[in-house]
Amino acid sequence: MTPRRILALTLRILLGCVWLYAAYTKFRESWLVFAMSIDAYRMLPQWAVLALARSLPWIELAIGVMLVTGLAMRYVSIAGAAILSVFFCVMALAHSRGLGIDCGCFGPGDALSKWTLLRDGSLLAAALVLVYLSWKPSGKAAHV
Amino acid sequence: MKITLIALLSSFLISSAVVLAAGSGKALGSPTASVTIELYSDFACPHCKEFHDETLPSLITDFVNTGKVYLVRHYFLLKFQYSRLSASYACAAEKIGKYNEVSDVLFLTQRNWGISGNVDATVSSVLSPADAQKVRTLAKDPSIAAEIERDTALGTSEKVTETPTMIIVHKGERIPVAGVISYPILKMYLEKVLAR
Repeated sequence: MTPRRILALTLRILLGCVWLYAAYTKFRESWLVFAMSIDAYRMLPQWAVLALARSLPWIELAIGVMLVTGLAMRYVSIAGAAILSVFFCVMALAHSRGLGIDCGCFGPGDALSKWTLLRDGSLLAAALVLVYLSWKPSGKAAHV
Repeated sequence: MKITLIALLSSFLISSAVVLAAGSGKALGSPTASVTIELYSDFACPHCKEFHDETLPSLITDFVNTGKVYLVRHYFLLKFQYSRLSASYACAAEKIGKYNEVSDVLFLTQRNWGISGNVDATVSSVLSPADAQKVRTLAKDPSIAAEIERDTALGTSEKVTETPTMIIVHKGERIPVAGVISYPILKMYLEKVLAR
């Protein structure tokens, strides 16, 4: 196994576990607890808050399972990185506005701070590396 | 026999503490409500003003006044210039049974005293001259500062870092919720919890 494949395998297992844990922390509580975390960002109308609170944990679960099992890696890696990019931008915007809220990433009590931005920024960087490793420069899929 | 006596004494002490809290002005509603909301806020914090103006009135009308939720408000000092001063006046007002009046006027006029620092005039505007003088004197009492510090320390022990933060307590479960939550969503959550 080449170092590149070892790195890709490590990243997909690591990120897969993070997605699964994120989903678990949301399923553990009422979905309305997550809805309150989303609502605290004050960026979405009520219907969108409720729809996102209902659907996002399932999306996180699906991405986690697919990353861990290696299913449709090229597409899942892109989907994961895209969602993490949105999360990171929203969190950075909320932090810059001085909102004292929970990040909502891993259940209640996870305050939005420079630390959470650093953590999610690191996850985004790892996801982008995984996207790169999942695609050969020629555009063909790398088997990871 | 000894165990029964200890249990009786414990329940008396607990109920006494609850009654004291209920009568202090910071606490609203029935102490026997199945849900307790512990609200940490800072009078100088703009998001606390939003919560106080937009969410709190409906929460009090629909859940606190109907005996479903017991609301306990706590001081939590952030680093605004007049956080401590405003909390001292509110805490002093609490001692003479005027917490709600003072709390309301502090949030209502936050943008004024937040700049001028004239907390005294703001608070005095809703009190009689005699009460205003009592509050002014009490606000300088070291026990008031100690009480505010105790509340802030309690919040810190609950991992509160920002305000407003609610800790929603139901059947021993404590759910922290930070930020300004719109009332319809908070209402949905509380109704779901109460229906359990």
